[in-house]
Amino acid sequence: MTPPRLTSSRQPLRLLQDRVATGLITAGGVGVLLAILAIGVFLIWETLPLLAIGESLALAKLSPLAWGTLKAALAALLFAIPVALGAAIYSALFMSARLRTRIKPALEMMEAIPGVVVGFIAGLILAPWVERHLASALVLMVWLPLSAGLAGLLWQLAKARLQRRLPLSWAGLWLIPWLALMVVIALWLAPWMEQLWLGGDLRQLLDQRFGMDYATRNALIVGLAMGFAVIPSIYSLAEDALADVPSTLIEGAQALGASRWQALWKVALAAAGPGIFSAVMIGAGRAVGETMIVLMASGNTALFSASPFEGMRSMAAAIAIELPEASPGGQTYHLLIFAALVLFIFTFLVNTLAEVVRQRLRRRYRQMGGTS
Amino acid sequence: MKAGKVNTASRRPRFNWLNDLWPWLCAASVALSLLMLGALLALLLVRGLGHFWPATLEEVTLRSGDTFAGHAVREVELPQQAGDERLYFTGNQDIEGARWRWVTIEEIAERAQPTDLIRLERSPWGDFIGRLSAIEQDGQRWEGDAAWHRLATLLALPASQRQESQLLLTTVDGQTLRQPLASVVSAQAPNAMSWWQKTHVWGDGVWRFLSEGPRAANTDGGVWPAIFGTVLMVILMSVMVTPFGVLAAIYLNEIAHQGRLTRLVRIGVRNLAGVPSIVYGVFGLGVFVYGIGGSLDEWFFSDTLPSPTFGTGGLLWASLTLALLTLPVVIVATEEGLARIPEAQREGAVALGATRLEMLTRIVLPMAAPAMLTGVILAVARAAGEVAPLMLVGVAKLAPQMPIDGEFPYLHLERKFMHLGYHLFDTAFHGEDVQAAIPLVYATALLLVLIVLVLNLTAIFLRHYLRRQRGNEC
Repeated sequence: MTPPRLTSSRQPLRLLQDRVATGLITAGGVGVLLAILAIGVFLIWETLPLLAIGESLALAKLSPLAWGTLKAALAALLFAIPVALGAAIYSALFMSARLRTRIKPALEMMEAIPGVVVGFIAGLILAPWVERHLASALVLMVWLPLSAGLAGLLWQLAKARLQRRLPLSWAGLWLIPWLALMVVIALWLAPWMEQLWLGGDLRQLLDQRFGMDYATRNALIVGLAMGFAVIPSIYSLAEDALADVPSTLIEGAQALGASRWQALWKVALAAAGPGIFSAVMIGAGRAVGETMIVLMASGNTALFSASPFEGMRSMAAAIAIELPEASPGGQTYHLLIFAALVLFIFTFLVNTLAEVVRQRLRRRYRQMGGTS
Repeated sequence: MKAGKVNTASRRPRFNWLNDLWPWLCAASVALSLLMLGALLALLLVRGLGHFWPATLEEVTLRSGDTFAGHAVREVELPQQAGDERLYFTGNQDIEGARWRWVTIEEIAERAQPTDLIRLERSPWGDFIGRLSAIEQDGQRWEGDAAWHRLATLLALPASQRQESQLLLTTVDGQTLRQPLASVVSAQAPNAMSWWQKTHVWGDGVWRFLSEGPRAANTDGGVWPAIFGTVLMVILMSVMVTPFGVLAAIYLNEIAHQGRLTRLVRIGVRNLAGVPSIVYGVFGLGVFVYGIGGSLDEWFFSDTLPSPTFGTGGLLWASLTLALLTLPVVIVATEEGLARIPEAQREGAVALGATRLEMLTRIVLPMAAPAMLTGVILAVARAAGEVAPLMLVGVAKLAPQMPIDGEFPYLHLERKFMHLGYHLFDTAFHGEDVQAAIPLVYATALLLVLIVLVLNLTAIFLRHYLRRQRGNEC
């Protein structure tokens, strides 16, 4: 780059331009940051009128929604955390580097799938299917982890040539057909098992023996669907944290005689613990705020029930349904904005916590890397 | 631990439950995630594209002697007894009052696939399935094969040039119907088609889905207005978000004093990307629609009050809300790009006598341009798939007018618009005939997923390319 040749007479003009542009950028930047800040201010301002009305009414309206939100998020996390962390551990510690550069973006693509699409599949396709095949669905949940263990067992017993052909570092890929086969087997066997042990119909049994109602769109469905949506965000962050653990640490532990399990549990997980914690936090924030999936897969009944087979109504879904109809300035309007404020504060706090923890962790890794 | 007692224990370590099983559980979670993702995409692809393939029409005779024609949709186990039942799409809503028919498999006595069964797509009443017996036009009459050829030539003309004529139709159980040609959209005889013709009809169906407007309460027709609305909204949004996002990023990275406050602001901006989208919708409704829109109405459109012009959800407010929602995405991506530019470049420029503005516009911004582009693409991908905030600020299930037309001022920012994601939600959950809408919902979902995935892939490749290029430079 050759600097433009300028006569000295244009010098003041350039300086003026520079001054003006700097001012404009500053004004624009500060303006944008203020606009972002305005979100919080607006939400707080609009909830102030709530102080005038009784506390009990707001509580009566919001507590089922808060319960529904927690229940949905919990169901999603119960499904997402084991799968996401398992996937993160595998791809950070075992997967071959070549496979990893392909698989990681593919899993992160999952995050891009719009909530409406997941909600539609869950609410209109998955929910009726699970209602008709409840026993099969429950059997699948137990059978899939067992079949993964079975695969490991068979692999240990297999001949060394086969072991080389199907190495653990590629298992993420070649286990897919195995799991698909296991799903088919489970679906084929489950009705027999239901007939044999449960007297034909699990739903009837649940109703008669335990008095549990079964709603088509329930917490189980929401957990599966929202878990699917949350897995990639937990996976991505946890994988980053685990992959950044200095390899000298794990190798050192193994050189000192630790087994793979001990090296993972006592060294890698302990070192990356804060990173994994922040990943789970971010996942929780996402699960609490997700609107469309809960709206479409939960039935939207504001219930106080802990049963996994009943629906719920979350705060985000209630806002999406009721706010367009609420008259501005009315009580419902302010209550719903209060719900939005709660969501805002919760996710903001959770994300800040996660971010701070992550930054601290990064600094720690840098120190470890420096000393080794 | 019996399982581990293999004979070659001396060469193989003993099988240890913890040590040897947990990697497999972890590997299985990767496989399970990929399996779920693949299954979802495969389901959308098969059902979304399969809908347009001309289905074979069957003439079914029941044991009771009843006959009907239609195409089989799916089979489901009977609830309380053994056996399956099958769902047929039979059309003919004006004659039979219903478009669907459930039949248990045992009831069926005979199934045939006669080649003269036709399927007419009509604009009121949906599909007709049956036989064409004759066409009448100005006293002339065609029958049998001649009628079918005549219909094909008539339908090949553009709608305005078709002459007034009447179709005489018979259903398989013998009822007759007179149908004016004007209400017929298309006709096909799928059982008589060759494979090549079917492919042609399939392509035609996909094209009409993309290019036509919805019919029959969104259960039929295409999604063109929704595509148009989505694209227009996203374009408006990127026009708003790009300059402001880039300005904020430049300010944060190049001008602001890098102290504690800036670091806090940076964390705050990063966290806003994690705030639920519905919260932005609430903000948009409260501030843009009721606040700014309400005031605009009072100042400029007071003659039309109380019916609101800007004081209700509309295109402008929706794109503004989404611009705010995607602002953190653009800021973060641009900042990453700016931070990766070596300090030496900036110092070199300043040392050669450039002012800060010249340094920014000639050195820094061109180098950070791909990062900004990545940010904007990611923002667009996020905005295209976002539905919840739009439900509050201006999406409509059926917008009577397009937001762009020949009337002054051509671009109507206050109008409501249709959006692919909301269209999907609405047809799937609030439609009258969900059964009929589901194939179209699949197709819409596939379209939406494809758009979002292609945008994301573009961003990934751009970023990858950028990193590699930068790697060579430094």
